[in-house]
Amino acid sequence: MSTDTPDSVDDFRTNQSWLYDTTAGSYLRSILVGIAVLLCAGFVLFPLYWLVVTSFKTTAEIQQIPPTIYPHDWTLEGFRLVVESSIRSGGYEDLVQRLFGVQVSSAIDIDVIGLIANSLKVSIGAGLIAVAFGTLGSYVLSRRDFAGKNLLMSLFLASLMFPGTAIMVPEWELFNTLNLFNTHLGLVLLYGAMTAPFVVWLMKGFFDDFPSSIIDAAHMDQCSPYETFRYVIVPMARNSLIASFIFAFLLAWNELVFALTLLANTKYTVPPGLLTFVQGFNVQWNVVAAASILVSIPVLIGLAYIQQYFVQGLTGGAIKG
Amino acid sequence: MSYESTAQSPFERVIQRVPEGLRVYLAVLPVTALVGIFILYPIVRAIYSSFFEKDLLHPDEATFAGLQNYAQIVQNGQIHTVLVNTVLWVVVGSGVAILLGFLLGWLLYEKLPYVSVASAIVLIPWVLPRVVGASVWAFMFSGSQGIINELLVSLGIVDQYIVMLGDPSLSLWPAIVGMIWRLAPLFALLTLTSFQGIDEHLYEAARMDGATPWEEFRYITLPLMRYNLAIGFLLMLIYNIRNFSMIWVMTKGGPGYSSTTLPVMIYRTAFTDFNVGFADALSVMLFAVLLVFSYYYIKVYDRMQGETQ
Repeated sequence: MSTDTPDSVDDFRTNQSWLYDTTAGSYLRSILVGIAVLLCAGFVLFPLYWLVVTSFKTTAEIQQIPPTIYPHDWTLEGFRLVVESSIRSGGYEDLVQRLFGVQVSSAIDIDVIGLIANSLKVSIGAGLIAVAFGTLGSYVLSRRDFAGKNLLMSLFLASLMFPGTAIMVPEWELFNTLNLFNTHLGLVLLYGAMTAPFVVWLMKGFFDDFPSSIIDAAHMDQCSPYETFRYVIVPMARNSLIASFIFAFLLAWNELVFALTLLANTKYTVPPGLLTFVQGFNVQWNVVAAASILVSIPVLIGLAYIQQYFVQGLTGGAIKG
Repeated sequence: MSYESTAQSPFERVIQRVPEGLRVYLAVLPVTALVGIFILYPIVRAIYSSFFEKDLLHPDEATFAGLQNYAQIVQNGQIHTVLVNTVLWVVVGSGVAILLGFLLGWLLYEKLPYVSVASAIVLIPWVLPRVVGASVWAFMFSGSQGIINELLVSLGIVDQYIVMLGDPSLSLWPAIVGMIWRLAPLFALLTLTSFQGIDEHLYEAARMDGATPWEEFRYITLPLMRYNLAIGFLLMLIYNIRNFSMIWVMTKGGPGYSSTTLPVMIYRTAFTDFNVGFADALSVMLFAVLLVFSYYYIKVYDRMQGETQ
């Protein structure tokens, strides 16, 4: 008799097995499942825990062997060093001293706030381009039939597979030809191109389910196609549009390969900036962890919003529901 | 359109001049142009450049080299190591990520409370900036202060701290572990969604017919999930083979070429050896593999669409 399903249907089963139909068997199963849960949870969560704990340790404690599982004294030293070094590399020491009377001195050389500013610029730009272009395209792809439509859809789906390492070298050559090397504009366009197909798929899913009676009603009320799109569909698609924007934003925020190869270090966004810091000499891991947490905040906020769209987005709209 | 619009903006008046049949193309033009210029054109360009001898610092002085770059793939001393690493990376990385992800997805569906909160937490490794995730693992595997060394010592597996990231025979594995950590949640979420899509009544009916839980899994769960699992499998392969950040952050492909996979090799060839032509030839190789994966991806996708509609 199985214990985890009170369902009496189980009694009808003719082929009883030890593992499922005895008390000992069900205990064994619970133990196995318990171990699996613990191991999985440990594997997924421990690195996250370690990141948080490390950021609150003092520099001295970081260098201790064996490492401490739980910090002796919680400190904000890592975060303080990150902020101070940003202030210093931004050249705001004097301003801060005059305003708050605090002497800023930092031995760390990473301008996290500057990096975040660059990343915000690039990610917001890319998000807006992807949403604007992608939505316009997806509306037509969903509503109309025209020659080359299927080819276009397959092309968009395939283009999601290639970006990243496979095209970094030709992309570098292209950026040199177009004089976009080391410009944020170039990255905005590139990230926009990488995520626009994504948005097309996400929004096409939305428009496919959009009731055409609403559009007919708008026509009756003398709305032009553009006005229908602007004043009827866009407001109703608000949530999907925001989700699309966040997807594009997150991709641009996390992207390393192109940011590393297409920018010089004065214009670095967060990923390559953090990378240079991690690979520098004498890494202070508590500062790295503090910086990592600061740059991950937007991601976590974004995740909370787009969670329900995640599967749909990941598979290019392949799975509904 | 049966109702002639009276209100027209100047913008619309311009659009009205475009012939009716071409107006749809006007709407898809921006996104197509963007993708065409920045994603598809580079692919064509890489194929073209792969026939030239080119230096990164003097891109204008390219000389035609025929198939020389492709011959180099065969002759290059490191490429053997790189290919073996790539195969190991993709096979082990995807295999374990799929098994672990499936287990995780099943646990999320069946055994854990608060599914939406739990799955949000599980997704964190996937959405975290790649550099952040990779740095955490680099720190955990570090030879001097790494917690994993401490764990191995206390379990009695090793006697003292070892520098795993600097040992040519071990350096690939920490990155594989990190990659599994990043990809398994993705597969778990796909699994969870497919579990949620299965009708409970099917199980009930099967139980009435005397099916064991294993038979339920084998004859109901797996067949109903096959498209999602196929898509997840292909995504794992694609994400693994084109990954760069995990390895680059943790080992930079070193020591030597011991942890270099194809994408890292492309980067090193182009941006540290400045040999653009050879890097393009390697990129073409990577396209070929990705093209095969994408072909199957689209095929699975089409078949799934055909069945759900």
